[in-house]
Amino acid sequence: MTTGAGPRRVAYYALLWAMSLLFFSPVLWIILSAFKSPAQILAKDPVVIFEPTLANLADAFGRTEFVSTLINSIVLSSVAVVIAVVVSFLAAYSFSRFKPPGTDFLMFLLLSVRMVPAAATIIPIYLMFVALGWKNTHLGLIAFYAMFSIPFSLWILRGFIDGISRRFDETALVNGAGRLHVVFRVVLPQVKPGLMAAFVFNFIFVWNDYLFNYTVGGAATNNVPVTLAAGMYNVGGADWAFISSVTTIYLLPIVVIVFFFQKYLLVGMTFGTVRGEV
Amino acid sequence: MTVSPTARTAAPEPLAPGPPEPARRRRPSMLSRRGDRSFAWMLIVPVLVFFVVLNVVPLLWLAGLSFYRHTLISGRPPTFIGLDNYRAILTSSDLWGSFGTTFTFMALSVGGATILGALLGFLFWGSAKMPGRRLALTLLFTPMLLTPVSVGAFFRLMLDPNFGILNYFAGLVVGHKVDFLAQSSTAFPAVVLIDIWMWTPFMTLITLAALGSVPAAEMEAAAVDRLRWTTKLRRVILPNAKFILMLGILLRTIDAFKTTDQILLLTRGGPGSATELLGLRLYRLGFDSFDMGSASALAIVALLAAIGFTSLYLYVLNLKAEKT
Repeated sequence: MTTGAGPRRVAYYALLWAMSLLFFSPVLWIILSAFKSPAQILAKDPVVIFEPTLANLADAFGRTEFVSTLINSIVLSSVAVVIAVVVSFLAAYSFSRFKPPGTDFLMFLLLSVRMVPAAATIIPIYLMFVALGWKNTHLGLIAFYAMFSIPFSLWILRGFIDGISRRFDETALVNGAGRLHVVFRVVLPQVKPGLMAAFVFNFIFVWNDYLFNYTVGGAATNNVPVTLAAGMYNVGGADWAFISSVTTIYLLPIVVIVFFFQKYLLVGMTFGTVRGEV
Repeated sequence: MTVSPTARTAAPEPLAPGPPEPARRRRPSMLSRRGDRSFAWMLIVPVLVFFVVLNVVPLLWLAGLSFYRHTLISGRPPTFIGLDNYRAILTSSDLWGSFGTTFTFMALSVGGATILGALLGFLFWGSAKMPGRRLALTLLFTPMLLTPVSVGAFFRLMLDPNFGILNYFAGLVVGHKVDFLAQSSTAFPAVVLIDIWMWTPFMTLITLAALGSVPAAEMEAAAVDRLRWTTKLRRVILPNAKFILMLGILLRTIDAFKTTDQILLLTRGGPGSATELLGLRLYRLGFDSFDMGSASALAIVALLAAIGFTSLYLYVLNLKAEKT
């Protein structure tokens, strides 16, 4: 195996960087648009060199329809996913250690329900939320997103808890620790990567969701993707300066999260069935 | 000895020194003790509540509705029509067309993303010491991190015949601009290519994990034996990597089956029904025509397909567990 910085190595790394940038380029184009004037965005010939302006970003933060939906996005994704991860952790512990009858069937059913096209889930939920008056309420949407985040969280966390020897539980019990002490002080600290993976993955999902929020939510609970879609159907044409700046702002936290928690992305996206170094 | 769940405030004690008492050793398992069953159920209750209220009840609602004629805008109460909705689905050429479009989309999109993703994965294999690798990978992953709504919206701009940068390049290559999303001959390929762009990074992620699962010792042995690249791939790499790759491809397939958001923004299923995937069709049936009965019946069909996919996925997962 070759080591050191030979010219072949440099060429190899340059190729990898080129590939990454190639895939990134459409996103880069969006980000560049966020710093252009509306006329530059809609120029006949693409404008590559320009004097960046912060007007679009400032304008976005000045609009209530963006700020209020951004707050909704933050509240809905963090609260719902935290609830989902907590209840999933408790159930995952029980499934892993006690394996009550029906465990496998329930795990299978939960996963299947999560695999149907979104619209199939929405139709009955929509009718139910309208009938119960839960539509356009934060509690309704949080409950819905929590339900939606439970299956993958449960799968991820059960995999992690299965990987922890029961000896830990037994040793603690023998030494007089209580049941809850075992769950929260002995097992919980050891599954932190699982909790992170479940959180990161489901957070990204809820953060980026459009269809559920659009149909089951309403003016009070809409998140940023709904605002983005609305920007497309503006009177007088799509508002590209607004769309590009909002997209840029909205992508930033996710990119930061993935940069710092990259190793959890794989575990999350395969709900814990695939683990490994990337 | 029984430890009640209420003893949770007991201070953590250091591990007992000395030999364990025989009585404790004889205890078959901590799971057979009294109070465990109720504790086990107590932990599951919150998930069960979510499951029953937001999965089981809606599912029964959906199943029931699929036997009714129920159009929201008609203002009439639902009328029971038995299996008519299902019969309509099975005989509607329109719907079969939608299934056909969906499966073509799945095959092309998953196939493309898998090939490209695997190539990229192989390329990135062995780049552990690359400067800025984490940043490069994060940038590579951005297509799948972007809100699908933004993807749909922005590709519409980039493909715009007047202002789109992709159309600018098309103009340079073929000499004239093309309204990609307005013709079914180009709209469908465009939708597929965008999906491949979005999800190739996922297959790269999976390939990297799969290649990471190849034992280093076997790779070294192959190097010592000076195996040819193709032999190495067939005899050493694939046998180890295939399960993770299969799981990845299956997951991607299921996800492609669900694709809705970005196409809703890109083409809304058009022109005609050239890009009307099943997920989109379901959505439009329910929320454009408010025909909840037919939509429910179609949703049940989609659910059965999803159960099939999940079974297949778990089957492969079990194969993997048996092998390792």
